Amino acid sequence: MSIELLLALITGAALFGVGIYGALSQTNLVMIMMGIELILAGAMVNLVAFWRYLHPDNPAGQMFVLIIMTVMAIEMAVGFGVAIARFRAKGSVEMEEAAELKG
Amino acid sequence: MNLIAAAILAPLSMMVLILLLRRFPAVLALLGATVGMFASLYLLADAFNGQGNQLILPGLPDMPLRLISTPLTALLSTLVAVVSNLVLVYAVGYMKKDSEKVRFFATMLLFVSAMQTLVLAGDWILLLAAWELIGLSSYLLIGFWYRRPGVTSAATRAFLVTRSADLGLYIAVFILIASAGSSDIATTLNTGGNAAIAAGFFLLVAAMGKSAQTPLHDWLQRAMAGPTPVSALLHSATLVAAGAILLIRVAPMLPPEVLLVIGLVGGVTTVVAGLIALGERDLKRLTAASTSSQYGLMLVAVGAGVPLAALLHLIAHATIKSGLFLGAGIFQHSRNSTVLVNLQGAGRDRPRVFFGYALAALALAGIPPMSGYFSKEAIIAASLASPNALLLAPLALAGTLLTGAYMARALRILWHGDRKSHKIVGLYWMGAGLAGLVTLAVILGVTFPDIETLLNTRLPENTPTRFPPEIFGLGAAVGGLILGWFFTARRLLGPLLPWVQQGFTIAGGFDNLMVRPAFAIARSCERLERILYAGVFAVGRFGLDIGRAVRHNDEQGIDGLIFSLVRNTVELGSRARSLQSGLIHREMAITVVGTALILAALLLALLVY
Repeated sequence: MSIELLLALITGAALFGVGIYGALSQTNLVMIMMGIELILAGAMVNLVAFWRYLHPDNPAGQMFVLIIMTVMAIEMAVGFGVAIARFRAKGSVEMEEAAELKG
Repeated sequence: MNLIAAAILAPLSMMVLILLLRRFPAVLALLGATVGMFASLYLLADAFNGQGNQLILPGLPDMPLRLISTPLTALLSTLVAVVSNLVLVYAVGYMKKDSEKVRFFATMLLFVSAMQTLVLAGDWILLLAAWELIGLSSYLLIGFWYRRPGVTSAATRAFLVTRSADLGLYIAVFILIASAGSSDIATTLNTGGNAAIAAGFFLLVAAMGKSAQTPLHDWLQRAMAGPTPVSALLHSATLVAAGAILLIRVAPMLPPEVLLVIGLVGGVTTVVAGLIALGERDLKRLTAASTSSQYGLMLVAVGAGVPLAALLHLIAHATIKSGLFLGAGIFQHSRNSTVLVNLQGAGRDRPRVFFGYALAALALAGIPPMSGYFSKEAIIAASLASPNALLLAPLALAGTLLTGAYMARALRILWHGDRKSHKIVGLYWMGAGLAGLVTLAVILGVTFPDIETLLNTRLPENTPTRFPPEIFGLGAAVGGLILGWFFTARRLLGPLLPWVQQGFTIAGGFDNLMVRPAFAIARSCERLERILYAGVFAVGRFGLDIGRAVRHNDEQGIDGLIFSLVRNTVELGSRARSLQSGLIHREMAITVVGTALILAALLLALLVY
């Protein structure tokens, strides 16, 4: 394993850890979504690094990255849609106050 | 429609109508009785033309219910219809001030139709049913004024005495049906041998109860608690007559032993009841005792083997006695009492009523040319001609003598005394009923030869004595009248009087003889029943205990298991639900922790292998 791969994996893991921390610690829906973006970004960094340093001739890794980007875009669209609806209805996107769906 | 049915159904349907409409009871009752009377008269006319009539209704298997119109039953049916019609006419006046006319006339009609069923019945089962029905309706009628003191006990006593004697009829009917194999009365009359003797004695018991023969005569006098038209109807052609009618109808079957006993019971009754009547202090009770006495004479005639004489006396007595009661009812209304002391001189107030009453009284005593004379002569001739003449004839003559004596006594008391005029409501109706009955009582004797022709039997002509029996009878009757008119009861009876006025209470009387043992038996039965009761309750309690144990087991065991399962599931569910907080980051944290745990497990598994 090359040093570059190791550095890329550490960067990806750090991004993932920061994302998890952000998603768990923040109470604002927008901030939670930012955390989730960071998690997905970490995963993308990992995938790109594996493709670039281990299997540069196989395009499957790039395909995974493209799928994740699509997922990110959709997640953003849905998440902001929910956030706007929530804001219009309640005037806030604080998730501590949003327990209506509790079973 | 069959005329037999009309004779029964006309009064019955009017009864139903009265009960439904609850108005015009008197008019409807008279209408029903009149229609029934015409049906009966038509049956009688048919019988004179030699035509029988019968109606067979489905009954028990092989035992259809029969209503037949033979000369005898048609004659009796006519008698019942005519007498009840005249009594109802009288009752319209008598009950004018009573507030419960609906109940009165409805019950009277029920009584009349039950009696018609009884006389027209051609089989034992229908006869039994009608017999019970007249018992019931007489109970209702005697107890009509049930709010007055003593009335209910009189009604109950009448019902119980006749009802217990009725058991004799049941046994007799069972014996007859078992031995003849048919419930048809005409067929069972061919029974002979021991069955006939046994059945005869039990029929006698039934007849003694209904016809108030000694020692079962007591209830009849107490039955005077009812309204006077009821007494008139009970005593003349219906309830009390049922016993004599029964014996007259079965007379061809009865063996000599039974006949002798019937004659003796009748003879003793006619004397005992005659003495009671002589000592009686109440006009209606006097008349009631006289009824027992006259039915005793009829039983003497049956016992002497001449049921025709009994039938003639039954017919004559029915009109005479209802006439006497109707007269007594008018006197009762005029003085508001039936005690003889209060009635002194009541006859002088209303000479026309007294005239009718006196005619009936003389007819009962047996003075020619009234109906009572012919029937009484027939009975005395029969008793003289019978094989047991030595026993029966003196009793019959004594009965005749006593009849004259107590009737003359009643007339004397009614005539001698002060006048106290007092207006009576409904006198015309009462007078009409009385006049009709007295007319019949006077002239019916003329029709007796026709009745003999109708029934195709003759009174025996030959007399074993040197003198014609008329001399004995007439002598006894006139002698009795003279004794009763000129001597008081105290002088006639002497030291016997107190005993007679208690109704011959032999050995403490009926109450001590029958009622005390009955109560003792009832008490011991009650004790036995209490023990049985306790036993039954113990069984019940044991069953309850078992049930309770089973229920406990069920609740604590099976139910407990199931319910604890349910409770635990519910608890688990509520605990699991608390995980679902609805807060995003909490759920996310759980997800993260869970995923981390799964990853750790996977890594551990990789390291181990």
